[in-house]
Amino acid sequence: MDVNFRKIDVDQYDEDVLLDSELYEADPRDPAQVLDDAKQKATAVRSSLSKGDIVGALTLVLTDTPYGPNVEEAKNLNLQTLVTILNSTKATEIPGVVRSLSQDAQDTLMKYLYKGMGLPGWGDVSGSVLLGWHEKLTEVAGTGCIVRAMTDRRLV
Amino acid sequence: MSAPEIFSLGQTHITSHTFNADRSQVAVSLNSRDVQIFARQGNDWTPTETLSEHDKLITSIDWAPNSNRIVTSAQDRNAYVWQQTPDPQTGRSIWKPTLVLLRINRAATYVKWSPNEDKFAVASGARAIAICSFDPEGDWWVSRLLKKPIRSTVFSVDWHPNNVLLAAGGADMKARVFSAYIKDVDKRPSPSVWGEKLPFNTICGEYASSSGGWVHSVGFSPSGDALAFAGHDSSVTVVYPSSQAIYHIKMTTLPLVTLTWTSEEALVAAGHDCQPFVFSGNEGGWQLIGTLDDPNQNKTSGRSGSGGAPSPVGRLQSSAFNSFRNADSRGLSGPGAPDGGKSNDTELFTVHQNTITTIRPYDGAPGAVSRVSTSGVDGKLVIWDASAISPVSVGSLAGKMGGMSLR
Repeated sequence: MDVNFRKIDVDQYDEDVLLDSELYEADPRDPAQVLDDAKQKATAVRSSLSKGDIVGALTLVLTDTPYGPNVEEAKNLNLQTLVTILNSTKATEIPGVVRSLSQDAQDTLMKYLYKGMGLPGWGDVSGSVLLGWHEKLTEVAGTGCIVRAMTDRRLV
Repeated sequence: MSAPEIFSLGQTHITSHTFNADRSQVAVSLNSRDVQIFARQGNDWTPTETLSEHDKLITSIDWAPNSNRIVTSAQDRNAYVWQQTPDPQTGRSIWKPTLVLLRINRAATYVKWSPNEDKFAVASGARAIAICSFDPEGDWWVSRLLKKPIRSTVFSVDWHPNNVLLAAGGADMKARVFSAYIKDVDKRPSPSVWGEKLPFNTICGEYASSSGGWVHSVGFSPSGDALAFAGHDSSVTVVYPSSQAIYHIKMTTLPLVTLTWTSEEALVAAGHDCQPFVFSGNEGGWQLIGTLDDPNQNKTSGRSGSGGAPSPVGRLQSSAFNSFRNADSRGLSGPGAPDGGKSNDTELFTVHQNTITTIRPYDGAPGAVSRVSTSGVDGKLVIWDASAISPVSVGSLAGKMGGMSLR
């Protein structure tokens, strides 16, 4: 069956189309600076991790996360940094770490968990690690946290 | 502290409910094209009248307490104002519909009388809100459209007590405050925290919740100096324009879809979590303080099915009857279920067994509401004591989430 008609961009015929950019506030930083910030964070996270400060490292990587268009490189770098933290945390420590995050950081972490689950085999993303974090995070932050990860248009 | 009154009006979704002034009658739509009016007789509601004129699903009903008029909106893009008039043949008083010229090309989603009952606002999927007022010369209701800058379907509206300002929230993820000033109807409004000069379609404020999400419900505080709205990101936001203070309360539960203020410093909101939550605060900050649904009380009443509510089958609470009823109403393979415990798996420990879609003040003046009424997808109408607040226990949440993985 011909399904190509489903791929026609019908919005181009709508003069009053609602654009993605109207649904959230754009990041005020310019793409180059966002990438710079992400690189600095990656370095800072590595030093935090070497000291065993997982909460500090997570808080760092979950603040001012890159979102929106034109910052793909920074997004990937930030996800990579985050995955490093997730992979290096012992399963028994996860509940304590999750509980000491701020509510905003919890919501952002949930967004990254879902993004990671959408990229199986990308980098060293491991499904079982993500699911372990997801379980503990949902116990603490509830279904509301999942709903916020779905509604927020500032995609990480 | 009294237990909530629970009435089961049907097995289907109650799309909307609204009481008359003395609370002796209630108009509901049971997910159909008709409005049903029920009259209260003791502890029971009996259907008295059916208002049929819409030819698509009714989305919202509002009963004006003082002028005793009902306005209905539906997916057929129309609104009707119903007025009680004597029937020329029999002399009985009947509800007579008057068509409203809305001039919208999508479904009407929500309708609300203004405080003075001389106008009403109809929200719609046509990226517009119709402000309707009566034109005595043409003997009909005419509308003016609020269009800019609405970008998507409007889900809910609420009037400011000054009869001019209107709050609206919708699928474009914003809650806005508009001026709905109509020259022939309104006197010039006195300046308020929302602004001084207010010609029609002035935007007095535009807000979004912290993580975006559709705005399901908006409400002005009793004084009109604060605005609250519930978003699909499971949050409630309270805005004080005078001090520019905005408070986001993020919930750990599923999103809230309807809210009402009970006093200047408290509001009740309910939604997909099937229980009404109470929030309290002032210009200095807001927080969740509890739920009206006492979890300890419901464990017993929840098990017996409709919880002692006057259901048409009253004494027939045998397990065989329950299993057949569950098979009918919930699609459970009931007759084969070995025992009562099994069939309780989908029973929630809340009074409402499904999403609450409407919450309204029931008793008390604006600003001192003592009871609120809720209705929802489970066909129940419940009247709650707004002061009977129980703390939200973490245990009950975890228990419910355990139940969720079973389904």
